[in-house]
Amino acid sequence: MKYISETATIFTRYDKNIEGLQKKARNVSEDVVLQKLADCLVHGNEDEIEEIVREALVTRDPMDVINKGLLPGMKEVSRLWDEGAYFLPQVILSSDAMIAGIALCEAKMGRPVEKKAKVVTHTAEGDIHDLGQVIVNALLNAAGFEVINLGADVPVDEVVEACRIHKPVMLSGTALMTTTMTAFPKIAAKLKQLNLTIPFVCGGGAVSEGFVTSFELGIWGKEASQASGMAEDALSGLSWTEIRTKWNG
Amino acid sequence: MKLTDTMAYRSPEKMIFGSAARPVTTRRGLTLGGGQVIPEITSHPRPDSERTIKILLREFERANGDALERCVVVGHPAIVIENEHVFQMTHNPEWGMKIAAQTTGQIEEYLEKYGLKAAYRSTIADTRRPEMVDMRNSENMAGMIESFNLCAQYADILSIESMGGKELSDYCLIRNDLTGLLFAQAVLGGRDMQWLWPQIVEIAGRHGCIAGGDTDCAQANTAMFMAGGFISKDIPHTLAALSRAFSVSRSLVAYECGATGPGKNCAYENPIIKAITGVPISTEGKTSACAHMGLCGNVMAAVCDLWSNEAVEYHEMFGGSTSAVFAEMLGYDVAAMNTAVALGYQKEYQACLINSDRYRSPHSFILCPDNAWVIGKAVVENNESLYARARAAGMKSAELMLADPLLRFTAFENESLLGYMKELESLPDKEDDFIDLSLGKYGKVKGFDPASYGLSG
Repeated sequence: MKYISETATIFTRYDKNIEGLQKKARNVSEDVVLQKLADCLVHGNEDEIEEIVREALVTRDPMDVINKGLLPGMKEVSRLWDEGAYFLPQVILSSDAMIAGIALCEAKMGRPVEKKAKVVTHTAEGDIHDLGQVIVNALLNAAGFEVINLGADVPVDEVVEACRIHKPVMLSGTALMTTTMTAFPKIAAKLKQLNLTIPFVCGGGAVSEGFVTSFELGIWGKEASQASGMAEDALSGLSWTEIRTKWNG
Repeated sequence: MKLTDTMAYRSPEKMIFGSAARPVTTRRGLTLGGGQVIPEITSHPRPDSERTIKILLREFERANGDALERCVVVGHPAIVIENEHVFQMTHNPEWGMKIAAQTTGQIEEYLEKYGLKAAYRSTIADTRRPEMVDMRNSENMAGMIESFNLCAQYADILSIESMGGKELSDYCLIRNDLTGLLFAQAVLGGRDMQWLWPQIVEIAGRHGCIAGGDTDCAQANTAMFMAGGFISKDIPHTLAALSRAFSVSRSLVAYECGATGPGKNCAYENPIIKAITGVPISTEGKTSACAHMGLCGNVMAAVCDLWSNEAVEYHEMFGGSTSAVFAEMLGYDVAAMNTAVALGYQKEYQACLINSDRYRSPHSFILCPDNAWVIGKAVVENNESLYARARAAGMKSAELMLADPLLRFTAFENESLLGYMKELESLPDKEDDFIDLSLGKYGKVKGFDPASYGLSG
């Protein structure tokens, strides 16, 4: 068979066109150990992070290890991802490493670290495709939120009950199939009945903006990466209508 | 179970669209892989139509009827209608059966009235979420078997998109963990299929329908979708391509258990499967843009026997319903391929399809027939275990990608690919050793239960 070597008239590899110089993480601390900790996080090295956190905790306050090492390191990871230098697995591995590091700090303090706020996440009833939710969970954890993870195939009433108990700043719902996303407006209606006007971010697979913005509380999440930004907006006091206006339409 | 050790084709040059080394004929007399490509249309019901069986029956009556009618209107000689079960159709097995009965009734009406040849593929939903139910002994599993039994009374072809290993592959995919993907897809997915598929083949045989095939949609397609297009930053395309190569080991199991094809439309591993088995395959490319984007739009037609659209949600367009419109488009694609065959230009036409996408992405590169055949050969020459043949497929794919200077990578993807190659080389040769290594590494991943796959953790 004949194979052509010149393909410019057939397709364009835009990924090659936009590929720039490898962006690097910035230094976040003058403290050598805390910088080493941040570097470890930037490289998503869960195996080594525990050893470095233990080293840091010998002479440092656990909250300093978190606030001056782990969180700034994670912020660098988020920046590199936002700027297109990092791929998702690098963020997930860094998130895993950060969670492992924070767990050691919490053990030293004897209490859990106070999180920014709670976010309830779930995958729709009848839907077992929860990868999108798993990514959302990791990104919310990395951004400092407490994730109440209800898992996949969650009945409507269970989601509503979790919201009633936990009073989250935001609820997220993931669905791959159009035939399962119909649970979302039912959840929204029940939340409204309970006067729980929680911003309800819905996304995944075939979930469309038109569908999600057709019911009250609904905000369409186009990408999992938007979840932490939306949660920050909810935390800052924006209502569901304001968040919808900002991110949708 | 003896693993395949032969190739159906002596060279990739022998592989062409429309012809399979082992064609099959449906109970309604439609031959697949017998010299002509046939369109396969899949329609998906609109949201909320799953509320009651009455609404769902009406939805499928419209969708499948529209597709059949459009074939007659524009003169397409044959079509396969597929319904992929939505959750409710398998969860309530009677629902799937009623839709199968209704659709095959429509098919028979069109045959009688117009002479349109058609067949019906019923794809049962795998409702087992590995971390939520026992894979081998649960109400969900019983419902699936009942669904197969009921639908087999009417369907021409049975298929499934089985989910074995999904709980671990999701975990590993977003962590760029190639070893975990290999374990999830080849060992867990393959073992699950070795348990599941003899049951499907037995049911199909008892009811006089064809046991079609499976697809690694749950794992390799997830990887492919996450790798996305040219601006996606989720996972490297090279990882998705290797996941595709691994998927051959598990999807091949269906045919080793007695399935005869046609392979399932969204199994992008099918060109490699066809090279090994010679069964007719269904593939999808540009006409599946209604369901997802892709970088293999034309090349996937190169050796297809059925040409599909993956799935299109039923609704109205200017040109009619989506089911009618896609049936028309698929039929015209197929008409062009069959015209090439009639004119004796099939190899030239195939060359155009292949060259369109060969260097577009790592995925499209390894699925070109020449590479697919070489990867298939690596699979059959390493048939000591599900693991060994998947690892060999991955290594051969990486080797092919690295050897062709016209296939270009981003720096990150290139670096990843070199790392993957080293990782594969460093793994043990024996499957038992690999399983021990993997259970040590992944045994505590949330939701993974080795016993679901006959392994003792």
